Amino acid sequence: MRCDHCSHDVPDGAFCTRCGAHQGTTAESGNPKTREHRYAAHPGEHVAQPSVITTLFPHLGHHKVHEFRWAFIAGLAGVVILYLAGLIAAAILVSAFLVPVLYLIYLYEAQVYRDEPAMVLGFTIGGGIVVGIVFTVFERIVYNPFQYVANPLANASVNIGGLLILGLLFPVVQEVVKPLPAFFLPKRADFPETVDGLVFGIASGLGFSVAEALIGFSSVVTSLPAHVAPGNWIYDLTTLAVFQPLLQGSATGMIVATIWRYRRGRLGQREIGAVAMAILAHIAFSAGTEVLKETSVNALFILIWQAAIVGALLIYIRYLLHHALLDEAAHMGFAETVCPSCHMHIVASGFCPNCGMALTAAPNAVKRSRRPRVDSMAEAPAKKR
Amino acid sequence: MALTCARCGAQNPDGNQFCQACGTPLSAAAVGAPPPPPSGPPLAYASPPPLAYASPPPLPVAYASPYYDPAGAAPQAAVHRTPWVLIISAIVVLILVMAGCGTAIALLGANAPGLGGSVAGLPSPTPGTSPSPIASPTSAPGATSASNTAATVPLPAGWTVSTQDAETLIVVNPNSTGSVSVASGPSNPRMTAQQNKDDVDKSLRGKYPDTAPCPGSKTTTGNINGAQGIFWNLCFTLTSSGRSSAAVASLFVGANSDGSVYYLVMLATTQSNLTSFTTESKPVVQGIQWKLK
Repeated sequence: MRCDHCSHDVPDGAFCTRCGAHQGTTAESGNPKTREHRYAAHPGEHVAQPSVITTLFPHLGHHKVHEFRWAFIAGLAGVVILYLAGLIAAAILVSAFLVPVLYLIYLYEAQVYRDEPAMVLGFTIGGGIVVGIVFTVFERIVYNPFQYVANPLANASVNIGGLLILGLLFPVVQEVVKPLPAFFLPKRADFPETVDGLVFGIASGLGFSVAEALIGFSSVVTSLPAHVAPGNWIYDLTTLAVFQPLLQGSATGMIVATIWRYRRGRLGQREIGAVAMAILAHIAFSAGTEVLKETSVNALFILIWQAAIVGALLIYIRYLLHHALLDEAAHMGFAETVCPSCHMHIVASGFCPNCGMALTAAPNAVKRSRRPRVDSMAEAPAKKR
Repeated sequence: MALTCARCGAQNPDGNQFCQACGTPLSAAAVGAPPPPPSGPPLAYASPPPLAYASPPPLPVAYASPYYDPAGAAPQAAVHRTPWVLIISAIVVLILVMAGCGTAIALLGANAPGLGGSVAGLPSPTPGTSPSPIASPTSAPGATSASNTAATVPLPAGWTVSTQDAETLIVVNPNSTGSVSVASGPSNPRMTAQQNKDDVDKSLRGKYPDTAPCPGSKTTTGNINGAQGIFWNLCFTLTSSGRSSAAVASLFVGANSDGSVYYLVMLATTQSNLTSFTTESKPVVQGIQWKLK
């Protein structure tokens, strides 16, 4: 068939395997060319759906998404059980490690690091941990929380000095230092796609998040009794287990994805907007949390605020990644493979003609199992000789 | 010999299995198709049946749908590297290991020395009924003072004012290990010292997750430099934006005779530092001069 949009002759299908455009659709279901109703990494979802797993774990196939979702829910259930049992120190530790450990499993599952697991994990998660330790120790030196304890008998007021430090200075500096490990990743040319940059950035941000949580809560973990009344800890545990790591990972992932786009010569409004969005979201998250806390708003509203910020970040990541995938998948040559989303056996270039998934977001095992053209296979032994 | 795609006419390098322009299998349809190279494994999809969902238009040449399913119409098995049991197990192991570590650390921490017994001795509370006269603090060398409309607070050498507004002065010690908040202002409606204390309890409980009276501490009455009120201690975890400290607030709240003015002194520091900070801040607390009567 001839693609409605790029006019190439391509295999029959609902999607053009070269440019990913949705074929034969009307504008009612969205722009067929940009197909934002079919998120390129997971075509069953709209780009504007703030799903955690399909956004931050873009290489997962359809079945694996559910498995990781259940694993995440199991981890959260564990945190709740520990909280209800009054084992707050244990709940803090599980909360700090939950999302990063899931991400480590994901990196193994998708083999994003290809043949360089030690280097990639060292420079992303490991580097993030090192940066997190250094920055959090520095934070504790320059920020004395006791000097901002407000007068509990005065009307609700916000300490401007504390707000500027916690809500502006620290978020901006964090967003500058967190991408550094991924930025200096050696052999970057082996991981050229934006989706690689996104995953490395998220891994770096999650490494930072672990270090920040462990150092930040070290005095509490070591001073709390083994069993205490649960109190209002559930709110802080929710932030620690869910929103803090998602914020740190998403914001850094978006910035590193933008760097990857820049390296490919694609720096447009969408990419610049991504950096601005990451920094502003971090500022809004931290400053909003401080303001709401100081004004004694119900802690539930603080969680709602944090969820709204993280949700907006996730949607922007999907928007950025979706268009990057549409842009970048076209370079893949035709090959025989199994679509990780719909599991159809296909001959395709950049996109599955059946479901429209961008095949650059396929797990590495799937990419490796693509049967390349015979001429390249024949050349390989010749080179060895 | 170059292969010409029978569908789109593109020239393909010798040995290609698919047209590099349109993806059409070349094995059957290519013009001048050579025999398969001996080193290339034969692909299994030589005769792909068309999928049920697609209705490919009739083509003038032997063009096959790119979809096919050797096992019938069913989708292929997903590529699984990590069994789901392993993923869930990893999370369960994480919970168990961290629960064990957290409990062990907490148990070890519980054996460490607890709060010093000096919390109640915060500003040398004077139990009794007669308010003391306002003290006339003796200035130490290098000492200055800070003042607002509510109070004047002496600043020993190295102490600094971190926050100041009409009602509140917060001063910090040289090592920044704690702070002394001194506040006074009109109460509207009028409040007794006990009502002020209830308000402070409620405010701190709303902000920090585990606010509770410190173990072994007592609530007493007394006065600070003429202000009559209540002394007590609250232990809590000071949390903000991913950081936390095991904190203690050694508190005094009072009210004037008709409840129209409140007085507050709060020493905030880490639980492990309470004893030394109380001693260090004594000159500050003893030198407070209340301006509102």
